[in-house]
Amino acid sequence: MERRTFLTTAFVGTAALALGVNLYVPEHIKVNKSLDGEHRLLFSVLLPVFLDDALPEVEKLRIAAQNRTLDAITQTISLLPADGQAELEQLLDMLENRLGLLVLTGSMMPLMMRNPHQLIAMLEYWRNSFLDMMVTAYQGLRELVLASYYSCPEHWNRLNYAKPTFLDE
Amino acid sequence: MAIPDPIVEGLASGWKHIDASQLSQDQTFEADVVIVGSGAGGGVAAEILTDAGLTVIIVEGGPLKSSASFNMEERRAYPNLYHQAAAMKTKDKAIGIFQGRAVGGSTTVNWTTCISTPRPTLDFWAKDKSVKGLSREELDPWFDKMEKRLNIAEWEHEPNRNNQALKLGCEKLGWDYTVIKRNVKGCWNTGYCGMGCPVNAKQSMLVTTIPAALDKGATLVSRAKVIELEHHNDKISAIKAQALNEQMQPTEVKLIFKAKHYIIAAGAIHTPTILLRSNLADPHKLLGKRTFLHPTLLSGGIFSDPITGHSGAPQSIYSDEFVWQHGAASAELGYKLEVPPVHPVLIASKTIGYGKTHAALMEQFNQLQVTIALIRDGFHEQSQGGQVQLTDTGFAIDYPLNETFWRAVRRAFGSMAELQFAAGAKQVLPLTEGAPYFNSWKEAKSAIETLDLGPLKTVIVSAHVMGGCPMGEDTKLSMVDSLGNSHYYENLSVMDGSVFPTSLGANPQLTIYGMTARNATLLAEKLKSSS
Repeated sequence: MERRTFLTTAFVGTAALALGVNLYVPEHIKVNKSLDGEHRLLFSVLLPVFLDDALPEVEKLRIAAQNRTLDAITQTISLLPADGQAELEQLLDMLENRLGLLVLTGSMMPLMMRNPHQLIAMLEYWRNSFLDMMVTAYQGLRELVLASYYSCPEHWNRLNYAKPTFLDE
Repeated sequence: MAIPDPIVEGLASGWKHIDASQLSQDQTFEADVVIVGSGAGGGVAAEILTDAGLTVIIVEGGPLKSSASFNMEERRAYPNLYHQAAAMKTKDKAIGIFQGRAVGGSTTVNWTTCISTPRPTLDFWAKDKSVKGLSREELDPWFDKMEKRLNIAEWEHEPNRNNQALKLGCEKLGWDYTVIKRNVKGCWNTGYCGMGCPVNAKQSMLVTTIPAALDKGATLVSRAKVIELEHHNDKISAIKAQALNEQMQPTEVKLIFKAKHYIIAAGAIHTPTILLRSNLADPHKLLGKRTFLHPTLLSGGIFSDPITGHSGAPQSIYSDEFVWQHGAASAELGYKLEVPPVHPVLIASKTIGYGKTHAALMEQFNQLQVTIALIRDGFHEQSQGGQVQLTDTGFAIDYPLNETFWRAVRRAFGSMAELQFAAGAKQVLPLTEGAPYFNSWKEAKSAIETLDLGPLKTVIVSAHVMGGCPMGEDTKLSMVDSLGNSHYYENLSVMDGSVFPTSLGANPQLTIYGMTARNATLLAEKLKSSS
């Protein structure tokens, strides 16, 4: 954990800058920028990439689905064991500061400033990396986002799936 | 429709249940026997020992949940009923592990498949692992007893279409297959066994042996995490536990359990973890070693007609065509073919990719047939399983994957693709990074030979954790004898899947039921005669 302590204490003040929040904050992400302990801004950048073609096309519905997924992600993280939470926090912290971004993505460009192609390139770089750390970063985020999204019954329409209703009758 | 809930009714009738999350003061409990764990081993032992007139306390780390809260949604079931919200992984994160954590253990969430211990497994244990008195002839009466107790019978209804595809593929190819026996009574055939049976049809420990023991005066303490066993010379003197709050975090409340005899039945991860943490005698350093997982591969088949794999009994057919093909311990590892239920979170997380490709796969949710191959580990000299290790915060499971394993994975992907195409799949997708959708068996066959397989590339899961506290008569190979009694402590027994010297090559619940029924019956006789 030495590395994590170093990164978070030395660069915690740069988190907002690394994400690019000074330059761009989507209005629909209901979050206090200075108190984003749940990393909602970070995930709001990643969701459209992980969930491309899964999110609804109608903007209002898409925003509702994203916010629901952000809530589900917060809930999912809270259920992880302490070790898992610490590992994930380390990754998310790194993605929220410029040095961490440089280490993980080879570029200091804030995630919010990257276009979808650049974000996909970042995920593909991790996914196909020879370093297990990169691959587990990709897989950890992937599983977290996809499991959280599909845990919500509101998102099952595209699957043509609904749970049985006999208990409601 | 309101479904009667036997747990709610039992609690109202005065069962002795203590939810440790509600305690504010330290407490000490005493009984003839303390059982740690309420799954397949602990549940059966509790009923038999209570029936014999002994006082029993069951200590369970998980919560007491019942059908009233089983709402058929993964987002509720996984955190409530599974270890680490069903997101547990091996140390290198290559294998996802599903294990129950609630009253009833994994029986509360398993898929109701009941298979007697395969003869080749028992023969191997007798010949190579110094296990005595566990032939099928000796075990069969105990399997019969538990089959009657838990209403275990061959599934008489039509398999759901997910299982139907497995059956059809086997028929077309002339492969072996078997109709599964299930522990259900009045099953509604809905397909939600893995999220807790919403109608109490599954004859899990939660609705059978545990209520029976409680009816006869046993005490159940839930949300109590056992920390260690206190011991002096060759006796266990107490069990120390810590209360957990509703979020399953430790509270300040400490619990002490004292008994004449102690049974550890916490499953093949937590039994070795507790025993290791207690610094029990282990002169040959066996505890936590040789942990087996039946590491499992997945293959998706896209069909033209609906499969709706979420609906209907999740498992009703299996194929043993490749389990013993080369003998118990020959050069290649065997694998069993089954199917899993297809539910949104399970499929979304245990597939490959994201974005457009993932969304396209999910849109075929109802056309998706999934076949799984469970690799039979622990027999071959190049298949020594993994290891449960203590860490600063708990435990880790290290499970190395070697060349012998990956050869079996490649063969398994081939068998599953061949089967799915034979059953009518339009396309087949082996769940490993870089594999495309194959359009024919011919195409799949040659491509699978060169697929880039490996940890973190290939999706591997496990729902069967076994080993880590092996049984046998040779103390160099085993921690407990063939009846589950400790070689080193006269008042300690282990009754769960951790005593298996190898994996089984079959789903484990009936083996644990049968062996525990025998061992607990003999223990009850011994304890009664000495009192």
